[in-house]
Amino acid sequence: MNTDAATAASAERSGSLLNLEAVVVAFGGLQALGGVDLKVWKGDRLALLGPNGAGKTTLFNVIAGDIKPTSGRVIIKGIDCTELPARFRPRLGVARTYQKTRLFRGLTVEDNLYLAQTGRSGRHLALLRSGVDAEFRERARAMAETVWLADVVGVTAGDLSHGQQRQLEIGMALVTGPEFVMLDEPASGLSRGERERLVQLLLSLDADITLLLIEHDMDVALRAAQRVMVMNEGETVASGTPDEIRVDPLVHSIYLGSEAGLGGADP
Amino acid sequence: MSPTGAAPGRVQSRRTLRRLLSARNVVVAAATALALLLPLFGSNFFVEFVMTRTMILGIAAATIVFLAAYGGMVSLAQYLLAGVAGFMVGNAVVAQDAWSKGLKLGWNPWVAVLFALAVTTAVAFVLGALASRTTGIYFLMITLTYAVIGYYVFGSITPLSGFGGITGIDPPGLFEDHPQRMYLALVVLSVLVYVAFRVLAVTPFGLALQGIRDDPVRMASLGFNVSLHRTLAFTLAGFTAGLAGVFNVWWNGQIDPTSISIGPTLDLLIVAVIGGTLSLEGAWLGAFVFVAANNYLRNLPLVDHIGITEARFNTIVGVLVLLIMILSPDGLAGIIDRIRLGLRRLVQLSRGSGAGPAEAAAGSAP
Repeated sequence: MNTDAATAASAERSGSLLNLEAVVVAFGGLQALGGVDLKVWKGDRLALLGPNGAGKTTLFNVIAGDIKPTSGRVIIKGIDCTELPARFRPRLGVARTYQKTRLFRGLTVEDNLYLAQTGRSGRHLALLRSGVDAEFRERARAMAETVWLADVVGVTAGDLSHGQQRQLEIGMALVTGPEFVMLDEPASGLSRGERERLVQLLLSLDADITLLLIEHDMDVALRAAQRVMVMNEGETVASGTPDEIRVDPLVHSIYLGSEAGLGGADP
Repeated sequence: MSPTGAAPGRVQSRRTLRRLLSARNVVVAAATALALLLPLFGSNFFVEFVMTRTMILGIAAATIVFLAAYGGMVSLAQYLLAGVAGFMVGNAVVAQDAWSKGLKLGWNPWVAVLFALAVTTAVAFVLGALASRTTGIYFLMITLTYAVIGYYVFGSITPLSGFGGITGIDPPGLFEDHPQRMYLALVVLSVLVYVAFRVLAVTPFGLALQGIRDDPVRMASLGFNVSLHRTLAFTLAGFTAGLAGVFNVWWNGQIDPTSISIGPTLDLLIVAVIGGTLSLEGAWLGAFVFVAANNYLRNLPLVDHIGITEARFNTIVGVLVLLIMILSPDGLAGIIDRIRLGLRRLVQLSRGSGAGPAEAAAGSAP
């Protein structure tokens, strides 16, 4: 653990939390990612944009360890994680959500949020409850409130509405106390009012928390992020501040296709 | 959820009491009391044969239910694991000079029990570790393979299984010539197994197991070691199946490879399906229906005239399982649940509009 801490400290000095080096992912003949380089610094708020099939979720899966890249390296906090399975990511402070909701549908909202914390703690093999559990329970209920699920803490996750499930999905990532959060289309399926609350929630996150966001809703993406990276066909085609991306003609032609997409995105 | 009154401790304990007094728990407690009092009024055949076998099969089937309901794994290896324990007891207790086969170690029967459970647990750990990366139909197939392999292993290693099996296996003095005691011990063990599995469901380990049932990918990304969890759950189920196996061999007095072949393996799955693979109570309920059908069908009037004899037992059970699968995929326990829900709805209708939400909230407390 000491050496881990030392490498983590040196990574912190150099500032880069996540470093992707020439990541290539090929599914058979299909190249989903064609050599992506990406550096994310601590406290970054980065949004990934791009049309369907651009490779955004594949990139997420590579960072989260759900897919091993065909070639290239994934370095998180100075540690080469390319070959490490997904279950080691939480120890590095990485948490993610899924585009298609992945909840424990047979368990209550509170149990979902409770379980999300035990994985990292090493308590999950315990046969007895202890004081730590009371703390986890407390935090689970607090997080339920943060993601507007306070009145349904006792409801089974499978019985929640779609919007509530999306909220729980975000809560499960945030409740782990992560340093690096990856949200895969958090606004999909949310109503206009819920989207506004989501933006407020993302803006209210601790400044130390690094955020990587995939979002189709331009309004949400451009308001929550400080930096935007646009992908197309497995490659990075543009990156810059939200303002730069809004006026980038290349982005217009490949992603938005028309002026109309931008008009509505203005906050 | 935290109590805010002047006496939070009392509110809490009253709440706990109310949770413990759920309809489900009251019915289970009444059934337990009935089972414990049964020797006072039941016939010897009913207690020592039908109900004793029901308890043994119930415990073994409960391990299938535990793995299926909490872990999402349908295992066909549970009868094999019970058989491993049975063979180990047989080899360990039969005396050197006895007219029997096997290793004939002649150990103290209680030492033999510890030995049998240790071996069974170790075997379950290894088999579980090998199967832990698979789910669904693949897990079922792997455990089916275990059952088939187990049969052939014991069938071909004759020093371990004798040529025609190991006979003359006596239970310890506590139970020898006291079949009613063995029955009572099985009732107590059943209750312990039942309560342990229920309690396990709300421990960190049990919750994580249910998380893995619902979404193993998410669990891995939250930092859980999914295969280790599955392996440990399988090991625990194996240990419990071993307990059933020990009593089974004491009760039978003998064990041979055929008794762990594919037939009995499927019988145990049928017991779990009849009761309902997602309900722990269903394991014992299914076992009772199975054993009762096995013993009493031939006594029904007119049975001979329509050709139902003991030989048709499998046909009858097959039809029964088919009916249950069509009418209620969650078994007899599912039928009971549905009747209860229906009755509650009737009561609510007759009262105008019911207090539904309050009851739902009370039931969902962790």
